[in-house]
Amino acid sequence: MLETQGLSSGYKELHILFDVNFKAEKRKITAVVGPNGSGKSTLLKSIFGFTTIYDGKVILEGEEITHLPPHEKTKLGIAYLPQTDNIFTELTVRENLIIAGYILDEQEYNDRLELALNVFPELRDKMDRKAGMLSGGERQFLGIASALIRRARVLMLDEPTAMLSPKFASQVFERILSLRDELGLTIVLVEQNVIKALEVSDNALMLIGGKVAFSGTARELLEHEKFERFVVGYTL
Amino acid sequence: MGVLEGAVTYANLLTLLAIGLTLTYITTSVPNFAQGSFAIFSSYIAYIVYKLFNFSPYFAAPFAILFGGFIGVVTYLVVLKPLIKREASILILMIATLAWDLILLGMIGIFSESLSKYFGAYISRFIFPYYLDFKIAGIQGIFFSSTLAIALSLGFLMFLLYKTKFGIAMRASMENPSLAEIMGINVETTRLFSWFLSGAFAGLAGALLPFKQEIVQATGQIIIVSIFAASIVGGLSSIYGAILGGYLVGLSESLITFWLSKIFGTSVLVYSKAVSLAILVVTLLIIPGGLVTIKWRRYLWRSRR
Repeated sequence: MLETQGLSSGYKELHILFDVNFKAEKRKITAVVGPNGSGKSTLLKSIFGFTTIYDGKVILEGEEITHLPPHEKTKLGIAYLPQTDNIFTELTVRENLIIAGYILDEQEYNDRLELALNVFPELRDKMDRKAGMLSGGERQFLGIASALIRRARVLMLDEPTAMLSPKFASQVFERILSLRDELGLTIVLVEQNVIKALEVSDNALMLIGGKVAFSGTARELLEHEKFERFVVGYTL
Repeated sequence: MGVLEGAVTYANLLTLLAIGLTLTYITTSVPNFAQGSFAIFSSYIAYIVYKLFNFSPYFAAPFAILFGGFIGVVTYLVVLKPLIKREASILILMIATLAWDLILLGMIGIFSESLSKYFGAYISRFIFPYYLDFKIAGIQGIFFSSTLAIALSLGFLMFLLYKTKFGIAMRASMENPSLAEIMGINVETTRLFSWFLSGAFAGLAGALLPFKQEIVQATGQIIIVSIFAASIVGGLSSIYGAILGGYLVGLSESLITFWLSKIFGTSVLVYSKAVSLAILVVTLLIIPGGLVTIKWRRYLWRSRR
């Protein structure tokens, strides 16, 4: 579905990722894990077109999309939810959702809006509230709802549970599972909460120092003999 | 024209210019020193259209608006976009608009001098004579037309920004351009349109300004002081701030200078821009973020208690 081949990227002269081969299978959740600074978020940004690509390719369903600008990738069905600043705080919830459906015609927007509000019904009675006034969990719901509206086939979530209470974090994980099971979305999930992320994921990629240290199923990684060492801060 | 009518007319036009300056500052983070020249170049276009067709100068306003919008677009595409692509700092961009302002001054000079030869009359310095304007109840038409111009412009701008999908996309691009890109918005298009609008507002102000004051080639360089003062006093990153600042600076500049001239004589009139700068300095000292950062509701609530 979505893959990178030999991807090397970074920020101008700052080289972060080295020869990364990554694959997100259709209708599956792929967790990207690794210690701080390993390049997890950079991988998502590179796929979406926010970094400098030195070498390698980004491929969506067989088509190379490496150098397409972000708004073109959105049109192809890739939705990226950044870790922070993932909603427009000065706009209302309704305006955020309108902007999320910017590329859609009115009929399709209305259909997608209804779908998103069915998945996140708590947003219905907050439509005219400024998004900056929402709680942390509600902001994440709005961010994911926005991604649903923009006809996402591939959803790339960068630490969607960061700074959330355990209760809200569990709710977010539940919704992520329902997005895969009920809507058939392909999900790439970058998470600090490694164990929880692997529990809900089908596949996993571990990055260490910008290089692939593990690629396989989430269960394989969870059962890896050195996994516990990794969780407490060591590498595999 | 009465002093108060003159002051309101000037404040209306200054507010139009300040809104344009603020709009491009929010979208592209460029303090545009050429905003005054956008208006004055458009004044010359309005004058030429009037001279060619000999209708009321008001009929020249659409030409001036389109021309102002055109200069705005050219400024962004030719001067600023290449620099922004190279990640030029705000200082470099600001200096670039200063340089562009001097180029525009030269172009205005060439344009007006060439046309002076064509028409066989000196048109580098002009004003629309009062008899070309209409009157209602003894009040000059420019008072009403400038008020109508600002009301229509603000109405249009608010409708665009709050009621249309493209306008909401513009606000989204102003707040977070990267996220707007993620949403599929072509941020470049919203920036380009904001430069068109900014130029168009300047064009409209430029078409009306010759009813109020004499235009010379360097009027843009003189008026830019007041435009910046208005935008900064209001709070450079807010359209509402530009409106507040435009009226505060515009009205004060005219009225305070008038009162000072009563005391010290008419020689004070040439120092009118000092009033704008004084308001700017005082505001920056007391409210560094500009008028828009004042918590008006809190003060109103306190005053009611």
